[in-house]
Amino acid sequence: MRTSTHIFQRVLLYFLLTGMTVLMSFPLLWMISSSLKTLEETNAPGIIWIPAHPTFQAYLRLFQNSDFLRAYFNTVFYTALALTGTLISIAFVAYAFSRVEWPGKNLVFFLMLSTMMIPPQALIVPQYVFFNKLGWVGTFKPLIIPGFFAGGAAMVFLLRQAMAQIPKELDEAAFVDGASHLQIWWEIVMPLMKTPLATVATFLFVGFWNNLLTPLMYLQTVDLYTLPVYVSTLYNINLTVQQWPTIMAAAVLTTVPLMVVFFFSQRFILEGVVVSGLKG
Amino acid sequence: MMKNPYLDTLMTAGLTVVFIVLTSYGLAVLARQIQRWRGASPKVQQDTFAGYLFAAPWITGFLIFVVFPLLASLYWSFTDFRIASGASPQWVGFSNYARLLLKDTSFRASIVNTLFLVVVGLPLQIAVALFLAVILNQKARGEKIFRMAFYLPVILGFNAAVLLCWRLMLNTGTGIINQILRALSRAFPPFDYLLRAGIFIQELISAVFLGIGSGKFNLLMKIWEAGFPPPNRVPLWIQSPLWSKTSVILLMIWGCGAMMMIFLAGLNNIPKELHEAAEVDGANRFQRFWKITFPLLTPYIFYNLVVGTINTLQIFEPIYVLYRDNQPLVSSAISMVYYLWQVSFRHFEIGMGSAISWLIMLLILIVTLIQFRLQNRWVTYELY
Repeated sequence: MRTSTHIFQRVLLYFLLTGMTVLMSFPLLWMISSSLKTLEETNAPGIIWIPAHPTFQAYLRLFQNSDFLRAYFNTVFYTALALTGTLISIAFVAYAFSRVEWPGKNLVFFLMLSTMMIPPQALIVPQYVFFNKLGWVGTFKPLIIPGFFAGGAAMVFLLRQAMAQIPKELDEAAFVDGASHLQIWWEIVMPLMKTPLATVATFLFVGFWNNLLTPLMYLQTVDLYTLPVYVSTLYNINLTVQQWPTIMAAAVLTTVPLMVVFFFSQRFILEGVVVSGLKG
Repeated sequence: MMKNPYLDTLMTAGLTVVFIVLTSYGLAVLARQIQRWRGASPKVQQDTFAGYLFAAPWITGFLIFVVFPLLASLYWSFTDFRIASGASPQWVGFSNYARLLLKDTSFRASIVNTLFLVVVGLPLQIAVALFLAVILNQKARGEKIFRMAFYLPVILGFNAAVLLCWRLMLNTGTGIINQILRALSRAFPPFDYLLRAGIFIQELISAVFLGIGSGKFNLLMKIWEAGFPPPNRVPLWIQSPLWSKTSVILLMIWGCGAMMMIFLAGLNNIPKELHEAAEVDGANRFQRFWKITFPLLTPYIFYNLVVGTINTLQIFEPIYVLYRDNQPLVSSAISMVYYLWQVSFRHFEIGMGSAISWLIMLLILIVTLIQFRLQNRWVTYELY
């Protein structure tokens, strides 16, 4: 009796888990399936789960579309530059908050945490005016440069928590040997921070890659568009027939880097969510 | 001659690094000098130098990108400032705020729409996240794969490209979601009744909110008079003002993986002994969930509620991708941040935009404070 209810419960559990997995991944599967269809098939009145004759026409069209290719390059360029600058500056600042004692440290740290309460929208309007004065509107700079100043308090916090766990004795021994703080940061602390750095890098990558609002504000010409901006222009409400296969193929190509990064980093990203999530 | 945008950006990035190094060094030298005048020991001087050297990038960035913009936008919110005309800001006192709060129907609609997402969408999102965390926590085989599948939408979900896929799926006539609903309704009559009941309730709730936004409740009356929906009705996802926000809620629920991770951490922190003791006392699964698991999870629910509210009040991407330029639906769908974007960057009314961003900030602050005030009523920090 007891074992049969147990078996029933297990079966139910796997049924729920599989069902939810299908539901949650359905949009992605549908995106891939639609990208392999013809235009007629995407607008067909019946359900076509998988096209009978998958076609790569949409992908071929995109590979010949110089606007799409340039948007891809733009996204890679901007993400790579912003990611590098932000990651290094965050690692630098996290060291000050975890391994050095200095007057004013607690006050500055408190200020940093309180910036997490400020919604970014409160800042975008004046920042836009500021960058407009600098003549940076219509360039990639406003999307990249702020990150160089350790943008992203939550990420600094995540890295600081990890750095604070390294035993102090390591630094002290190095001090006795005459090492400077810069040497300790680069030669002792950073090598121990590979996993937390990878976590922060993943979060930053996802954030930059998906970013829509600021590219939309600053990149005003097609030759500077990043992927989210460009792909959203492919959908044009004024057309009666949307080129769904092309749009979906562009969506698949846009998400491939995200999926690859997630696949390789999911082990520590899933821990990182919890660490950064429970700061409150 | 056109400059190469990539080289130009790289040059500026290089100059920025030089700027950061110089200001950081300057700040550190200044801090050390102050310590020297105060007669601090060499070790303290050295640590002060290092502390300010390492923290300086953030301190300079804070001044340039946070303090200065906040002060500037506070000032502009009291001015008439149109960036396109090239005129300097004209002081107008509280008139921006007065217009937004008293006259601007679009702004009022955007607040009501956003609150709809918080009041109706967020509880659903939290409930689904809790459900997923509980079934994941049963230690099934392949748990990691399921967890990945549930979390993946968080990574992809807010990319405009993926949101467009939802646009395709939500198409009322040929979209896959309605096709599946139609097929199920034909196959199982009880499902049809359930679906129609759901449609009816959803449309009534939406109509109430639309009425609050516009001040006219005739739509609500019309739905009530039309009565129970006829057979084979399907949701009008991105076609009807009654459904525009519900489609966004679907997206919110789909992206509940981050909340799920918080709940998983909470479930892991519940001591096994409590459940074992309750099982010995003869408590069944549901009793154990409601008397032990749920109370011990309330701090995590509270966390998700606070963070989720802040995030929902700032929602932008789904609205932009699903409803941009869709005139008939705009007033029923726009969020506060979408309106902020429209005023500031389509009409370039910086004064008005600044006032909107301060109102959004105030609203977020007030809602968060209320949540913290009310937490003693329902959040359990210790069970026994």
